[in-house]
Parts: sequence; C-alpha cells; structure tokens
Amino acid sequence: MRLRTRILAVAGLVIWFGWYAVGSFFPDAQRKAVWWLPDSAIRLGLDLRGGVHIVIGPDLEVAISHELSVIEDGLRRALERKNVTGTQFLASATELRVKPGASSDGAAIREALEDDQRVTQREEGGELVLTLTSEWTREVRERAMLQALEVLRRRIDDPQTGIPESVVTRQGQDRILIEIPGVDRVPDIFRKTGYLEFKIVQDMAPTEELLRAKHPDGLPPGTEIAVEKERKTERTIAAYLVPERADINGDFLTDAQVQFDNRLNEWQVSFTWNPEGGQIFGELTEKNLQKPLAIILDDHVYSAPVIRDRISRQGQITGRFSSEEARDLAVVLRAGALPIPVQIEEERTIGPALGQDSIRRGISASAVSLVLVIALTVGYYRLSGVYASVALLVNLVMLVGLMALFEGTLTMPGVAGLVLTVGMAVDANVIIFERIREELRSGRTPRASIAAGFQKAGRTILDANVTTMITALVLFEYGTGPIKGFAVTLAVGLLTSVFAALVVTRILYDVHPGSKPVADVSI
Amino acid sequence: MAAGKHFELISPGTKIDFIGRWKICVAISTLVIAIGLIGFWKPGVKLGVDFAGGTEMQVRFTGEGEVSDDPIRGVMQSLGIESDAVVRVGTGHEFLLKFRGERHIEAPAAEAAAPQEGGGEITAETDLIIRLQQELAKQIGPVEVVRVEFVGPKVGEELRDQGLAAIGISCLLLMVYIAFRFTPRFAPGAVVALVHDVAVTSAVWIVFGLEFDLRVLAALLAVLGYSLNDTIVVYDRIRENLELHTRIDLVEVLNRSVNETLSRTLLTGVTSIVAVGALLGIGGEVVRPFALAMLIGILVGTYSSIYIASPTLLWLERRRARGGAPRARAAAKA
Repeated sequence: MRLRTRILAVAGLVIWFGWYAVGSFFPDAQRKAVWWLPDSAIRLGLDLRGGVHIVIGPDLEVAISHELSVIEDGLRRALERKNVTGTQFLASATELRVKPGASSDGAAIREALEDDQRVTQREEGGELVLTLTSEWTREVRERAMLQALEVLRRRIDDPQTGIPESVVTRQGQDRILIEIPGVDRVPDIFRKTGYLEFKIVQDMAPTEELLRAKHPDGLPPGTEIAVEKERKTERTIAAYLVPERADINGDFLTDAQVQFDNRLNEWQVSFTWNPEGGQIFGELTEKNLQKPLAIILDDHVYSAPVIRDRISRQGQITGRFSSEEARDLAVVLRAGALPIPVQIEEERTIGPALGQDSIRRGISASAVSLVLVIALTVGYYRLSGVYASVALLVNLVMLVGLMALFEGTLTMPGVAGLVLTVGMAVDANVIIFERIREELRSGRTPRASIAAGFQKAGRTILDANVTTMITALVLFEYGTGPIKGFAVTLAVGLLTSVFAALVVTRILYDVHPGSKPVADVSI
Repeated sequence: MAAGKHFELISPGTKIDFIGRWKICVAISTLVIAIGLIGFWKPGVKLGVDFAGGTEMQVRFTGEGEVSDDPIRGVMQSLGIESDAVVRVGTGHEFLLKFRGERHIEAPAAEAAAPQEGGGEITAETDLIIRLQQELAKQIGPVEVVRVEFVGPKVGEELRDQGLAAIGISCLLLMVYIAFRFTPRFAPGAVVALVHDVAVTSAVWIVFGLEFDLRVLAALLAVLGYSLNDTIVVYDRIRENLELHTRIDLVEVLNRSVNETLSRTLLTGVTSIVAVGALLGIGGEVVRPFALAMLIGILVGTYSSIYIASPTLLWLERRRARGGAPRARAAAKA
C-alpha cells in the first residue's frame, strides 16, 4: 500500500475509535443529549459502579416432589371414580409408594396409571413404587427453572417498583444470575418466595405456649400453629390455630395494588381474585362470618382480620406496613410465587463508594504506568521511543474505542488488564527496535535495517502474542463475572498492540527518515 | 557502528555464560518449589472465599467515636455466626468480617411447615448478611456496606475445579501451539519453563501464607502467557541461530541466543514491572492480590526464560543424543 493510503486509513481508524473512546467519558444522559457523541459506550461492571451480583439456585428437587404429589392427586381421583378405596400413599422426595387396600386392587391401580408416560413403575413387597422417568424429570426441572426465571423477571420489570437496568439471566443448567446496580443489599422483592395463603383461624391465644396449653392433648389433626409477630421487634402479637392446608392461596390472584387507608391511617395492599378465586373466596367468607382469617405470606402471619361480610372479588391485606413494605408485597403478589424454594449461592456486592474509589484508582494507575513506560521507552530508544509511544497511545485509543463500539463491560480486573497492556504493548516495538539495532550493527544502511527489522521481528511478535491470546481465551471461557473483563481487555489489547507496533510505528518510520538517504536513525 | 551510539542496557558483544550456570539455577528453583510443596502439606494452601466458600463482608462505621473489634465479634456471636476473622482495615472505621454460613431465601410455606411444628423460631429476617448488617447498626452505630463476597460451598467447589481446569487446559493448548509452531523437540523445554513459573509463583504465595482466589488465578494465567511469550522470543532466536551456525556447539548457540535477546527480555520485563508496580501501588486493595502475583510471576518468568528454558532444551537434546550414536555433534545439528 502506498504511504499516503496507509496514513489515511490509520488516521481514519484512530479518529473513528477515538470518537467512541471519547463518548465513554460522558455520562449516559449527556451522551444521548449531545448530537455529535456516539450511541454506544463502555459499560461499567457492577464492581465499578456499585451494585449487587447474586447467583441463586432453585431447589429443583422440590419440583420433583411437587410433581409426585400432583401425580398422587391424579391417581387418588382416578381410584375414587373406580370406587377403589383403602389405597395408601407414601411420598418421599424421589418416589411415590402406593399400597393397595386389598391385593385385588393392584390391577385397578395399574390400569389407572396405564397411559401415564411420566412415571416408571416397579413392584416391591406388594407395593407399587413410582418414580419419574428421566425425560420427565428433565422436563419438570426445566419447567421449574423457566417459571422461577419468569417470576423473578416479572418482579424486576414491574412498572411501578421494578428496578431499572437490573438483569435476570439464566446461568448454565440450574442457576439464575441477578445483577442489580446501585444498591448495597439484595432487595426484598428478590428475597420473598411470595407464597400467599388464607386460613380460617380456629382458635387463638396471645402466645404460642398459651395456645398449646389450651390443647393439652395435642393439636387437632390437620392443624398447626401460626404466629403473628411485630416485624421490627419480633415480639409475638398472637398465635393462631389454623388448618395445615390453606383454604385458598395466591395462585388465584390477578392483581395487587398499594393503597393508603385514611381511616386507619395505614398502608394496605388490595388484591383482586380471578373469577374462580372469587367464587372460592366468596363461599369461604360466607361460611365463616365473624371468624378471623389469617393472611399468611411465606409463613409469616401478616394479620388476621375478622370477616365482616361475604367478600368475593376484592380484598385488602393489612399488617401495619410501611409504604415500602406494602409496595414490595404488592410487587411480589402481582408477579406470583416462586414455584420452588431458592437459595443464594453466590453474592458479590460492591458499595457505591468502593466502586467510585476503584474507578479513580484505576485511572491513576493507568496514567502513572503510561507516563513511566513512555519515559522509559523514549529514554532508551530516543526518537524511535517517541514512535513507540505514539503507537502505544494509538493502541490505547483503539482498545477503549473497540470496547465502546461493542458496548463491552469494563470491570476492575479489566482495568488491571488495561494497565498490563500498557506495560506489555511496547514489547512488540522492543522486539522490532532490537532487530533494527542488530541490523545497523551488521553494517546495513538505516533504511535497509528498518525494513529488515520489521520483517524479521514480525514472525516473533506473532508467535509471542498468540500464547498470551490463548491464555486470555481460556480465561474468558472459564472465568466468571469481573474476571471475564480481564480476559476481554487483555485479548483486545493484544490485537490493538500488535496492530499499533507493526502498522503505526512503520508509518512513522516511513515518514521519517522516510526514503531520504540518511546517515543514521535515532534508535 | 560505534559503541555508545545507542543507549544500551546490554552491550552488543555481551557473552554471559548463562547455560553454564544451569546447575545453580536448577538447584534454586527446585529448592523453592520443594519449600512450596512442603508448605502445601504443612501449613496448607490458603484458599480465599472464591474457592473455599464462605463470606467476606467489609463494613464502614460512619458514626462518631472509635469502634473496636470486640463488640463486632459480640454481635456476630449473638447471631450464632461462627466468625473466622474480624480485621480492621484502612482508616480504622472499616472492618473486614469473615464467616461461614448458608443463606436461604424464605422457603414456601409447604416446605417450611415441618420444622415449625416443633416450636421452631420464625425470624422476620432470614438472610444472614442483612441480619448482621441490621444488628451491627442497632448495637454499634450507623454502618455502611463497602463490599460483600459470598460464595456458597457448591459454587466454591465449582470455581476451584474450573480454576484448575483452566490452568490445565491453558498448558495443554500452549503445548500444542509450541509443538505445532516449532518442532516438537522444542515443546518440552517451553512446558518445563511454564510449569516452573506457575509452580514457583504458587510456592512464593504459599510460603507467605497468601490466599488463592479468582484474581490470583487470573494472574497465574496471565503469567503463563507472559512467560511463554518470553520463552518463545528466545526459542525463535535459537531456531534462527541453529539454521545459521550449524557448525557451532549447541551450548554456544544457546548462550548466544539468550545473550542476543537479553536486552529485549530485560526491557520488556522492566516496562511490564513498572506497569504492574503502578497497579500494586495505586490500584487499591481490590487489585492488589492480582498485581502482586503478576509482579512475582513476571520476575520468575523473566528468570526462567533466561536460566531455565534453554538449559532444559540442552538437557533434553543431550539425552536424545545419548540415546542415538554420536554425542554432541548430533545435538548441534538440530
């Protein structure tokens, strides 16, 4: 290529990338407002802007046992229709044991199960043991994962209280990654299962002990105790005797809204049932007028108001909520319950102060290393060192510009990769310059030495950089979160530094000393 | 060209007998690695939160007055948190708390009902970290979360396995690349240098009781790349010199090649160390382990490409020659 073409091409690239690089130094809003700034920019990782990064693992085994209980219910109904009675069911986490009431019932049970493709059966001591087939197990787990993802997404996307810029993504087979910028703890809306139950209170007392004392022979079968506590102090307000199975649960809700009750001077959450739920709730409240109804969310009794009227479509949950609590509760109820329990498997939280501090330190470290490396190079190679320094600056502009162009995420390890690039990028130039010096020593003219130096160094530079590239790629593949950022800047930095050394430095030599017959080259 | 015309760290005619010193160098490296291996057994390898699992929580008390670590331990104890360490960091208002414990998000009613029947306590706040934060604020004073790193046991184990796999796979790929790019005879020497660098850097890490975490792993991988980069530049020169000087003894070729590339090796080493040094000095605590491991790695990598990679090549060639008929000549004709 002719020199002029090369200069134009490189200058074009530098201006283009430089434009993107400059854009990244403006805040988002300002960049969008100013017409001449680019649309895309480098994103800051959560470790630089502050925020919460959590990985949660849904307990998929629970999904399996849920599925088994669904199968159990179906089988019960089928047997009822056939008038087969006395069958006993024993469910564990992984299998369902069915014990026929009479040995002649075995055939009927098998018949009832005949078209069920979900389970495999085997006989064991007169019992029928049912386990999910491996395909169905996969299907159930997958469904539970998708449901959990959907519920969490609905919670962050909630138009009223959702968290902007948060991301919920699936990570591998059985994990969910949630990234929430700008907060320093996991928000409540991610920590609630959202399992809402309504239970008619059968008996109550001020404390659990007193309630138990009222039933010296043990609790009536099918009941349990639920305790209402003041949320801040954890002081027990009341203990209720309620049925184990909910009279109605949150599956039938269609909407939930926050409202302020002026009369009681407190925040409430009003909810709306779907038609089916409205019918069940209507019958329930009609049958139990004047009885308290316990409203239970994730095992906490929020309140137990006394039913005054038949309620069918709409109702309120009261519970001395603060406005935030009421708001969070409404979000969780609107989005629905998580189908299975989840556990936090990993959390990385960076407070906003530390993020700011990291950015400042990252910029200083980059600047200091840049100045020192330039000083060293110029001091050692004189004018050629100046060429190398120009190449280094072009390299950095391209690196930052490329990151901005592809909206790459810059993390603190990524900044470390950037600084490391500054230190290692001159290596390519050093290899070239050492070659040129050797050629000069062997008595060649400056021009011939430069040409030979570039030509001979090219192979070595390529070889040497491929190795670092390999480790960067492996790191990208295996690294998680911020570490991936290191791999990205390292890899992109390698590409730009090879380009800068081989192309930019070459152009500078071609301009000066150029083709003029010179006595010497400053190296 | 007149001497002194260029500013030179290493003058062109330098002939240092690097290869001749291989015995001392091998002895030093072996010793360091051996100490590292002993450290592997006796005090053991310290794993950070990333690999061991657990919680690291850094908090800053923003209220007036001194805060000491005893009340913090007290709060942790009252919550039943088994604390591994409470360390004061930075200005004195900041503390790093290390502890273990699982974290459950509230379970659906159906599952949680069972333990409750036994009269188990229901607490309003189930999350360990938020609970600790609330209690610290209540009992000691206003507190800010600087940083939380929590890694569950399952994830910790996975990260550990993946980390080892990453190092293994990198070594493998690099070996393949060397074998493909150079003759297969060069590969073992480069790999020895590679393994040497990771082993020595790890040994230093173990001996000083520093923690291995993801950042250190990233540094070790970058060291792999850097070290091999260095070695390749030397090997490239060896390959070139072997083609040029078929008559000279292999030891002479190796020495000449190392000397010819010496100023490049040192200069690149210096600029890299300057950059990493800036990171170590200014970058702050988040990148400190990375920068330190990188610094050690660059030093070790530079040393190994001078003193370890070429002697290994020589040793392998001599072994090969001994296997064949005539001795030194055959090796030189490589």
